[in-house]
Amino acid sequence: MAVMKFLCDTKRCIECNGCVTACKNSNDSALQWGIQRRRVVTINDGEPGEASISVACMHCSDAPCMAVCPADCFYRTDDGIVLHNKKTCIGCGYCLYACPFGAPQFPQQGAFGSRGKMDKCTFCAGGPEKDFSEAERELYGANRIAEGKLPLCAEMCSTKALLAGDAGVISNIYRERVAARGNPGAIWGYTPKVGA
Amino acid sequence: MKLTSLRSLFVSLVLPLVVLMGIGLSTSALAGDDQTSQQIENATTSEADLWRAVKAGDPGYTVAKGLEANVLINVAGNEGKNIKIEYINPAMGMVVLGVFGAFLIFYLVNGPSKLSKGFSGKMVLRWSKADLIIHWVLAISCLALIFTGITIMLGRYFLQPYVGEGVWSALIYGSKTIHDYVSPLFIISWLLSVVKWMPLQTLKMYDLKWFLVVGGYINFGPFKGKHPDSGFANAGEKMWFWTLAIFGLFISISGIMLVLPVLDLPREASMAALLIHGISATIIIGFTIVHIWMATVLSEGGMECMTSGYCDENWAVQHHNLWYDEIKENGTLEYKD
Amino acid sequence: MRLTRKKDQVDVAKKPALGLNRRQFLQSAGLATGGIAAASMLGAGMMRKAEAKEVPFDAPTETVRTICSHCSVGCGVYAEVQNGVWTGQEPAFDHPFNAGGHCAKGAALREHGHGEKRLKYPMKLEGGKWKKISWDQAIEEVGSKALAIREESGPDSVFFMGSAKFSNEQAYLYRKLAAMWGTNNVDHSARICHSTTVAGVANTWGYGAQTNSFNDIRNSKAMMFIGSNPCEAHPVAMQHILAGKERGAKIIVVDPRFSRTAAKSDEYAHIRPGTDIPFIYGLLWHIFENKWEDQTFIDQRVYGMERIREEAANWHPAEVELVTGVSGEQMKRIAKLLAETKPGTVVWCMGGTQHHIGNANTRAYCILQLALGNMGVSGGGTNIFRGHDNVQGATDFGLLFDTLPGYYGLKTGSWKHWCNVWDIDYEWVKGRFDPEEHLGQVPMNSTGIPCSRWQDGVLEDKSKIAQRDNIRMSFFWGQSVNTETRGRVVREALNKMDTVVVVDPFPTMAGVMHNRTDGVYLLPACTQFETYGSVSASNRSLQWRSRVIEPLFESKPDHEIMYKLAKKWGIEQEMFKHIKVNGDEPLIEDLTREFNKGMWTIGYTGQSPERLKMHQENWGTFDIKSLEAPGGPAKGETYGLPWPCWGTPEMKHPGSQILYRTGREVKNGGGNFRARYGVEHDGTNILAEGSYSKGSEIEDGYPEFTADMLKQLGWWDDLTAEEMKHAEGKNWKTDISGGIQRVAIKHGCIPYGNAKARCIVWNFPDDIPLHREPLYTPRRDLVAKYPTYDDRMVARLPTLYRTIQEQDFAKDFPIALTTGRIVEYEGGGEETRSNPWLAELQQEMYIEINPADAADRALQNGDEVWVHGPEGAKIKVQAMVTPRVIAGECFMPYHFAGVFEGESLAKNYPEGTVPYVIGEAANTVMTYGYDVVTQMQETKATLCQITKA
Repeated sequence: MAVMKFLCDTKRCIECNGCVTACKNSNDSALQWGIQRRRVVTINDGEPGEASISVACMHCSDAPCMAVCPADCFYRTDDGIVLHNKKTCIGCGYCLYACPFGAPQFPQQGAFGSRGKMDKCTFCAGGPEKDFSEAERELYGANRIAEGKLPLCAEMCSTKALLAGDAGVISNIYRERVAARGNPGAIWGYTPKVGA
Repeated sequence: MKLTSLRSLFVSLVLPLVVLMGIGLSTSALAGDDQTSQQIENATTSEADLWRAVKAGDPGYTVAKGLEANVLINVAGNEGKNIKIEYINPAMGMVVLGVFGAFLIFYLVNGPSKLSKGFSGKMVLRWSKADLIIHWVLAISCLALIFTGITIMLGRYFLQPYVGEGVWSALIYGSKTIHDYVSPLFIISWLLSVVKWMPLQTLKMYDLKWFLVVGGYINFGPFKGKHPDSGFANAGEKMWFWTLAIFGLFISISGIMLVLPVLDLPREASMAALLIHGISATIIIGFTIVHIWMATVLSEGGMECMTSGYCDENWAVQHHNLWYDEIKENGTLEYKD
Repeated sequence: MRLTRKKDQVDVAKKPALGLNRRQFLQSAGLATGGIAAASMLGAGMMRKAEAKEVPFDAPTETVRTICSHCSVGCGVYAEVQNGVWTGQEPAFDHPFNAGGHCAKGAALREHGHGEKRLKYPMKLEGGKWKKISWDQAIEEVGSKALAIREESGPDSVFFMGSAKFSNEQAYLYRKLAAMWGTNNVDHSARICHSTTVAGVANTWGYGAQTNSFNDIRNSKAMMFIGSNPCEAHPVAMQHILAGKERGAKIIVVDPRFSRTAAKSDEYAHIRPGTDIPFIYGLLWHIFENKWEDQTFIDQRVYGMERIREEAANWHPAEVELVTGVSGEQMKRIAKLLAETKPGTVVWCMGGTQHHIGNANTRAYCILQLALGNMGVSGGGTNIFRGHDNVQGATDFGLLFDTLPGYYGLKTGSWKHWCNVWDIDYEWVKGRFDPEEHLGQVPMNSTGIPCSRWQDGVLEDKSKIAQRDNIRMSFFWGQSVNTETRGRVVREALNKMDTVVVVDPFPTMAGVMHNRTDGVYLLPACTQFETYGSVSASNRSLQWRSRVIEPLFESKPDHEIMYKLAKKWGIEQEMFKHIKVNGDEPLIEDLTREFNKGMWTIGYTGQSPERLKMHQENWGTFDIKSLEAPGGPAKGETYGLPWPCWGTPEMKHPGSQILYRTGREVKNGGGNFRARYGVEHDGTNILAEGSYSKGSEIEDGYPEFTADMLKQLGWWDDLTAEEMKHAEGKNWKTDISGGIQRVAIKHGCIPYGNAKARCIVWNFPDDIPLHREPLYTPRRDLVAKYPTYDDRMVARLPTLYRTIQEQDFAKDFPIALTTGRIVEYEGGGEETRSNPWLAELQQEMYIEINPADAADRALQNGDEVWVHGPEGAKIKVQAMVTPRVIAGECFMPYHFAGVFEGESLAKNYPEGTVPYVIGEAANTVMTYGYDVVTQMQETKATLCQITKA
């Protein structure tokens, strides 16, 4: 059974924001203006040591959002992807408070009360609705996983910095890169055990 | 601009609260989990610095517009989540079951506190109409918030497994909605009650003695038949009042922070508010259970005060002798027609 | 999600949706229409719903291969189309340039299929109101106005602004249209992008293009980026650059700004804007001092290095540090790195070209590579990254004021060659031009008015310009005028013209920034996804693009609009003599074949539509490292047949990935420097000595091939009888049979001859690169030593130099200002700012300012500021306080427009076309300054003052 993870190679990420718009492209139907499931953050911007990192939901194996949700709307797929049910979501925002990565997004419809239905990266795996159904498209966006494809953000990464897929596979790719260029520690996300 | 200042107001309000309630949010890095980037031993210094900065939550640059979008990792919320799940949720469960259970046992063992001289039939004015309205608005809103709040806090453990998905969705959504919209009512009535009743709730020396005999509610042993001095409010009621006053303040402010997404509070503030809200709720709920027990079954003649506003003269003499003496003396005593 | 049609996007400007009717809507979605008489009452929201319902998820999916239209890297795209609606975009993992990768723009490409902010139908400004008109009326009125002006003022009073967004076929046709209209007043954004490169580099070694390829950068061991920021401007190129880095290459970034690319570098050198030449001479000083130059290479293949040696001697480290700010120690470190780590490549972009000495900058970079012997090898070369998707092609097809397609120039012989290709009478074409001489220039043979200065062509005193009258009417065909400097002057020129015609998918600035109430026409052109044709990437590869969707709304492909105009002007018989026209749409393939017949100079002759389509169908067979196909139908060929692809298509030349590569046979894409400037200069031989391409039967330098030369060599009889007929009296450039080229290559020789590259360009104002301070320089102390030129006539326009530099602006405008790209937007930005997925990411026009300068002005990050230009204009933008720029220098992106000196232009747009994001155009405050050879505008070095708003 696969365990799906994202991994961002900071030596390659150039903050081109291709992943951000690829996500929009893929999940257009579920995303409105202002909701970005993925973002790129540049540390030490404009100075030596600058590094950019693309971040979205990390599909944690011990997901804080899942633990804190009062509606218990989160669930984990067999592939280790953390998804949620927008029909159960009450818009309380607890997942936003708890998530270390700032992944949950809210449409912020009103000033008072519910924040609306939470939206976050689905690893392009849709949601609890029937695969490819209109409801799934409208609420969650693409279901590339069901089509046998990986998230569009990683597939379209301009420099192949962002990898998505089974932890074993992407860690092998990363291990090969490390071996070729000798800079471990440049990685964000699933951390493979490098070396002996 | 207005929002920003509101926001900073709340930030500045929440910090003292955190200190007050003694919650230290640890900001140590997320441990051990393979979700986060880990420092690999032989990394170069600059990489080490980079990850140190990332883990410390240093802000960077991003074109994303969301709240704190420029921070990669902020573990504060996760630490808060741990506190909530490990301590506050169980505490709430224990308080609800424990306090209720303890009083049930006490009632069964001890029985209610009877009027030693029986009912006189003469009713003394104790609460005005305004007092009654304030009390019941507060009581009903508070109960609504308690039931919906407990559903929000613990429903996923004790309800969700036993109801269908549709029912659960409706239940949790309804709870959240009711909780949000009843809360202003609670805050208003709480505020009025605190302002209106505070003069009657100042602590006196004789209140200490009241505690020594446990208010005279115990029907056995050395406490049996004791009727300690008390004014308009006895020491127990004063404690309840001040608890409600203080934690009502906490719960109201933290609640406002949680129910207004427009404030765009940082995650630390929101999570702190959530924790304060939970702790305050636990305490208030504990006292509420006590209060209801005392008023309904444990104190004969007590309930009458809040239904009609009048109490039996004998009840007044037994439970609030100093007050009775005082009104009698200064002529403000008023009987029911 | 693949099916997803458009969701309602938040309309930032809160404009009501344009009331397009359902018929147009369905047409836009490519759907068949039924009985829907009442449907025009539907609101936009309902129509969108209808659209989504029209495409069930399981509707059959057609996958179309196309190429991203946002930059010259040329990324492949799989577009998925269902029921005529563009419903999905999949990464083209098998594409040899991008392997599926995209930047923000490429990844948002599918939004082009929505086009909600597009111009929906032809419009006319009448009494201050936009009025919908029909295509017939639009062509009739626009055409008649042009004819009337032609009658009164001559053909040169109509200006043809073209576009790097054209396909090759459209670019070629547009040039032909201008030629047959009878003017050289045709130009496009290459003028303000790489015109100085084209001039400087072509005059150094033959061709003014990227010498190697993006993929070949993988083989470099050292890369120097000077005035180039591929992380933002060419993000997918970084895939190859970082692959090279991971293979051990060192990256040097030379830039006034600590860019994203600098963050990936091993060595970052900050130079003051406009000091590229001192920097290069500074490196050469160390190279010569330490004898690090490649003397054998220089002896065999370079002319005039001694002059460079003399000039470099003046640039000792202290002087270099004084002028550029780079320490001697760092200069030496970089020089040593370049000398010891070979092959190395030099990459430059707008940071080098957009100066009034831009042509000399580009020559300096070339000279550095010549000294190091880095040319003509894999991993070396000058990798000049072009900007727009087809700016290379549009340049090659002569969408320029000084040449016909294929860099043939404007001489009578050139005209005769093209008339020969077009199969029309030269005298007829000549008759189309203004025959009179003006200020000593004959319009047909003299350089026209450049894209950078059409506004001066409108406003300048007409007795001072070298044509009959001012420009009175202009087509702004796929070019937004906010990319031209001196915004106030641009506005005034727009106001003054008789008629303004915008042909574009969007209204663009020419349509909205004027104060006119009449005489503006907006003609909706469609994007490249709604038509098809070939496109040339920066690496000279041609790629075929297939049509993804039918033209949206009432828009039409550019070539169809050109045909309509030609017909109105009565020149369609001559113009389309050998081109099939379906309805009003000329056949693209016939256009390709026609230019194949004439583009001998740069080898655009072997890329027939059939060969290009075959490459398109076989992306996956080309190796991403070598760009060559090891097998399959294109076996042995380089992807996209990068020009020169010699001879006829039948010759099956594989294309030349690396120019001047002596290590390969010409027939396999090898070559050597071009013999373009004769055989000797000042009595010195300038042909190559002892260096020649592999397999050449002439084992030394040789001049370019002519019919006579073939005869002298005894190779004439290798021609077929048919070829002899065409070749007689012709040369390799004008023999339309391709015979001379074929025979030369058969004998291992390259048709254009084998010469040395030249460091001395004796036909330019500065024969070797010389440093001259920017017109608006902050360093008054250096003006006396490094002054600019005297004012002079350049092409048809008087051009100021000394007059400006003499004035001291630095005391009131103390901050040096440069501009550049950001990754989310492109060009004038109208298209990308109308794409909500992109617009969401950059919502505010800003200026990057150092914390020290900000502190001096009490500015916080995010504060509104006024940026004042020395020519009086000012713009209101947001301050971004950042260490990316040093104190005393600042930076602005140039893609914003729609706000002019604090005044929103949103009210001027036709309803429903205001882009999601508008902002001040940087070029409103950018200043005068034009390259002395090419009229490139100086947007990389000026001055400004910043005050709190």
